[in-house]
Formats: sequence, C-alpha cells, structure tokens
Amino acid sequence: MTAAQLRAAIALLALAGVAVTAYLVDARYSGTRLACTTGACETVQHSRYAKLAGIPVAVLGLGAYVSVFLSALSPRVEAAAIGAAIALAGLAFAVYLVVVQVAVIDAICQWCLASDGILFLLALACAERLRRVPEPPGEREP
Amino acid sequence: MQGLLRSRRALVGAVGIVAVAIAGALILISALGSDGKQAAPTTPVSTGAAATAPAPPAWVPGAAATQKLFGGIPQTLNVLGDPKAPVTMVEFADLQCPFCGEYAIDALPAIVEEYVRPGKVKLVFTGLAFIGPDSETALRATYAAGLQGKLWNYLDLLYRNQGPENSGWVTDGLLRTVGESIPGLDADALMAGRSSAEVDDAIALSTQQARTARVDSTPTFFAGKTGGALEQVAVSSLTADAFRPTLDALTK
Repeated sequence: MTAAQLRAAIALLALAGVAVTAYLVDARYSGTRLACTTGACETVQHSRYAKLAGIPVAVLGLGAYVSVFLSALSPRVEAAAIGAAIALAGLAFAVYLVVVQVAVIDAICQWCLASDGILFLLALACAERLRRVPEPPGEREP
Repeated sequence: MQGLLRSRRALVGAVGIVAVAIAGALILISALGSDGKQAAPTTPVSTGAAATAPAPPAWVPGAAATQKLFGGIPQTLNVLGDPKAPVTMVEFADLQCPFCGEYAIDALPAIVEEYVRPGKVKLVFTGLAFIGPDSETALRATYAAGLQGKLWNYLDLLYRNQGPENSGWVTDGLLRTVGESIPGLDADALMAGRSSAEVDDAIALSTQQARTARVDSTPTFFAGKTGGALEQVAVSSLTADAFRPTLDALTK
C-alpha cells in the first residue's frame, strides 16, 4: 500500500467514524431514540460515563474523527503525528469505555462498539503511517 | 540514516507519550465523574427489613420529593392540574426511556411550580410501551395509579428508580413498593387494577393517539390552547428553559 493509499484509507475510516458519532450526537440533541438491537443503547448514552466534563462523549468522538480526517488530507509528517496521537488516545479511551459498559453500566451500546471497531482500524492505519515516517526517497509522494 | 532513525524514534516516542497523556486525562476525568451526576439506582433501597421478611420496605428513594412536588395539585386519571387550565401540554413517554426520566427529574419540577400549580397549564401523560416488556408492566401500574388519582406521583417515583432498559427492573416488588411509598395510594388496589378494563382502555387509547399524532420517539410533547389544536413542541434540551418560550407564549 502506498502512502497515498494509506492516507485515503485513514480518511475513509475517519469518515465512517464521523457518520457513527454524528448519528449519536444528533440523536442526543434531537431527543430521538437510537436504533438499537442490544436494547441498552440509551442506558449507555445516558449513563454518567456518556459525558466528560459536561460534554457528551459522542461530541468528543466526532471532533476526534474530524481531526483525524483532516490530518489524512496532508502528507506532512506533523499531520501523521497528530493523527496517530488522536487515534491512539481515542483507542485507549474506547477500551476503557468498553470495560465500563461491561463491568459498571452492565449495558452494551452497539453504536459504541461500531465506533470502537472503526477506531481500532484507524489507530492501526495511523500507527502504520507514523511507522513509515520518514519515508525513503523512492517512496515519497509526488 | 542514523539521524533519520533517531528522528523517527523520537517522533514515535513523542506521539506515544502524547497519546497516553490524553487518554489518561480522559479516563481520569471520566472515572472521577466530573459532571457529578450519578446513575439512577436500579433497585429500591432497603430500610433494614429482616432477610426472612418477604415484604419489601414501604419506601423508595425520591418519595418525599415526589410528594412535595405534586401535593395539592388536582389529578384526574392522566391529567395533572386544573382541568380548566387555559393551556394543555401532552407528553408521550415510555417508562423505560431514560430521556423521559431526565425530563421528569430535570425539567418537570420547575414546569409544575411555574405553570401547573398556578393553574396556567395542565399536563397530560400519554404512556407508550415500545421499548420492551418492562415498559408495559410499568405502564399498567402507572395507569392503575391513575385510577386512584395518583398517576403523576407514581410516574415520577418510578422514574426516580428507573433501571436499565429491558433488564427486568420492573418487578412486582418494585411496583408495590413504589405504590406503598405514596401517601393515600392503596397498593393492593393498584396491583389488582393493573389488569382492569380501564387500564386496557387507557393503553389502547394512548397507542391510538400516538399513531394519530405520528409519535415515533419519546419523549414527544405537544402544547396548545385547551380545546384547540396542539402543536409539537420542539425542544433542544430536556430542561425547563427549553419549554419556557412555548409555555410563556401560550399563557400570555
């Protein structure tokens, strides 16, 4: 996979994350019930863990995905570093939230799990992009 | 080449440190619960009944607050407030819906004190049961409380003890204990009334009204002049502030 393809993959994964979190944010502010097969999405979304310092976690997630998407648009080393830092931090926080859902809230939100899956792939891709920095001259972008 | 590697290692290290720091801060803030809001208790608190005693204690959290909120306000089946109030607000809700509980706890007290108690607005509860089996079990008991003129007390107290969706939290023990926590409510009559024809009719009517009004999520609110057409109230949050513009305009 070329560097450009890797950045495209990161952008697409970030957009998928934007779609999931935007749905959660919209549902939260419009008062719409979430489509939920696990039957406990709203329990999770309205637990105290669904907010961080008063800000809904879905809003933070949306901001993170948008930031990673923007970082994928630039071929610069700094962009790769910022994207990787956000994705890896997001993944670590997501792992914590999965533990909270299972062990504390005793309810699973399928939309959170969907976001977690995307975030896992995104973190892998961002880490790979970072691993390739600086790239040998032959593989540099045109 | 050595320089590049060192540079890359430094970059990867810096990214790792930043990621760990950000994640650590997020987890710390979350674990400490900085918004201070605690999850609703899912089971009634015991007041020390002996382990062998089958009867639960006649008290659940929030009983005093509920009694204070609705005390002295007329109730007729599912209507709270003066039947001749010039403005009517209808709420479609599911007892298991956390948003509905949020509205009841965060917004309702101010709405009751500012608009319902002075006789400006009457509130109509229209119960739905689409989240799951616990919804209908809770709704039947709530309407049965309405047969005794205590629907709003019962509704409020159930929300204060709401459990996770479809977890089986709506037990007979909880329903009876909530009933026994409301002064003036006959818990035996409530338990028997759950399967009455009046409750069947009330649920059928609610379902029909939701279909007619095209309600597909809860809570959904409609308000307007009493006897006139009601319009859906679009709220950006479930706080009293979000309802004031509509209610102020209607009660002007």
